[in-house]
Amino acid sequence: MAEASTNDLVARATSLLNLEAALLDDRRWHDWLDLYTEDSMFWVPAWVSDEAWTTDPKRQVSLIWADRRNLVARVFRVEGGDSYASMPLPLTVHLITGIAVTSSLGDIAEVRANWLVHGFLRTSGAILRAGRYEYGLRQIGADLKIAKKKIFIHDDPITGAIDFYNI
Amino acid sequence: MTASDVLIPPSPQSETNSVKDLIDDRSEQRVFRVHRSIYTDPAIFDLELKRIFAKTWIFICHESQLKRPGDYLATDIAHEPVFAMRTANAGINVFFDACAHRGARLTTGRTGHAPTITCRYHGWCYNTEGKCIKVQFEKLGWPNGLPKDFNPNLRPVPRVSSYRGFLFASLNPAVESLESFLGEATCKVIDLLADQSPDGLEVLDGSIRYRMRANWKFQCENGADGYHVAAVHRNYAATVSYREQLGGPSRDPLESTEAGRILNRAGTNTGSYDLGQGHMLNWSDRANPAALPLYEREAELLQRLPPEHVRWMVRRGRVFTGFPNFLLNDVASTSIRVWRPVFVDETELETWCFAPVGESEKARTARIRKFEDFFFPSSLAVPDDVFAMEGAHQGNSATDLGWIRFARGYATFAAGADEPARSLGMKPVSSNSQGDSETVFSGFYRRWLSMMTNHE
Repeated sequence: MAEASTNDLVARATSLLNLEAALLDDRRWHDWLDLYTEDSMFWVPAWVSDEAWTTDPKRQVSLIWADRRNLVARVFRVEGGDSYASMPLPLTVHLITGIAVTSSLGDIAEVRANWLVHGFLRTSGAILRAGRYEYGLRQIGADLKIAKKKIFIHDDPITGAIDFYNI
Repeated sequence: MTASDVLIPPSPQSETNSVKDLIDDRSEQRVFRVHRSIYTDPAIFDLELKRIFAKTWIFICHESQLKRPGDYLATDIAHEPVFAMRTANAGINVFFDACAHRGARLTTGRTGHAPTITCRYHGWCYNTEGKCIKVQFEKLGWPNGLPKDFNPNLRPVPRVSSYRGFLFASLNPAVESLESFLGEATCKVIDLLADQSPDGLEVLDGSIRYRMRANWKFQCENGADGYHVAAVHRNYAATVSYREQLGGPSRDPLESTEAGRILNRAGTNTGSYDLGQGHMLNWSDRANPAALPLYEREAELLQRLPPEHVRWMVRRGRVFTGFPNFLLNDVASTSIRVWRPVFVDETELETWCFAPVGESEKARTARIRKFEDFFFPSSLAVPDDVFAMEGAHQGNSATDLGWIRFARGYATFAAGADEPARSLGMKPVSSNSQGDSETVFSGFYRRWLSMMTNHE
């Protein structure tokens, strides 16, 4: 990506992150999956101490370590209408701020952002959680796609379930 | 519904002696019932903290979680803050988490490292043995030293003991020995974990705590409840099966997950045991032992251990529920879960993955992936358990309905050991050759009742 287009890259990354949030909030799961590259990784580290998250998914336990196949399976699980925790699904709204391009090299851009998700269930009320995203975005043809999404959850303990749609 | 189904015992809110009326134990008539108020009555909850959690052994952590001198883990027992700490001479102490001076909490987090523990309020310092090594500006305030009757050292929790690396503590100086609390049958179940490596077990990095809006006893029931698996975890089994199809023909058994025993309960050998002392075991044969991370060690295990022990380790999945609040799982992966009662309708849970020391990198990573599939609130299974338990709590708030009857499985119930138990030299109080049965809960609730009605 050309250096001259840093502002353009921020704008395109912002647009992509906003689109992803809207697709999740609108439960358009398959359109959401299309934002991810075939070799994408979706990673939610767990805590190793009060101030640090796991860094090595082969030797440490993550909250979610999902390649694309796992993400597709998670969508299958939620769509199946057979998961106690997923019926009904909460109404979610993703609030994303502080979107910044932290590096860009070749066709890869690293982006960070802050998130806050309000998940609401009529039966149990609202749950708020917050954290930080680290994205690896890749230019594929005319499109910017998600090759990596790393989600840090700040809350501990958490209430309710954690899944791809509410973090 | 018979008349006795709606009989409501005297409210325990004003008369705690009537707790004994909350369990209707007529096993000889194949009737075992608990009154719904045991899940929802705040007065019962307060009594549980005093008569159970403050009186018996409480699981704290696995010793591998405290590696270096000064490593600590903070938790609570019956709402009293405590922390376990690895000492300078490699032992482990458990202290009340309160400064000897004015009682401020000492630990700064859930886990940490503090070879010298400094109180942030007035600056008193302690070593890992709990000895006070500095009173801030002592000479200015106490020119002749602290008064003789002022003990400046940390207060140890009265009893600390461990069995094969599993660390327990008790607020009760007169508590029975840990071996007696666990009992012989439970020790054998723990041995099936601890013997998996000659170098012992280790808890892996990576955890999160979670809270459910349900009484703590629903988790006790859930672990020993084979019956919910086909309903609640059908989705988990379907999801992992679907995922395997997406991957094409499975190349490596370790990459598959043993969902077979969930989807085909009727075709699988299962069972449950009342192990005594309130502890419970639920087991089922593994559909595909080659999918087990431990499978690579089977030959080595057979050299060290009797073949029937190895069969139990490698060929049978086991869920152990320890009274009152911990669970040891060895199914698709291995986990330790502990849960702490917060309020009558709120429980905090924490789950760790443990593994035999020295397993191959491939087995370790497979174990971790299988753990993530099932055991976290971010997995494909535990969220469903949590919501099911919350639903159970909500429904049981209809205390006017009276009793919950644990009635399933008397046809396959037998006193004492069955053949699989005998093969391990284990002597459970009772056996059931159907893991989906509910007779196992009577052991838990008898222990509960015995402690709740013990006034000392």
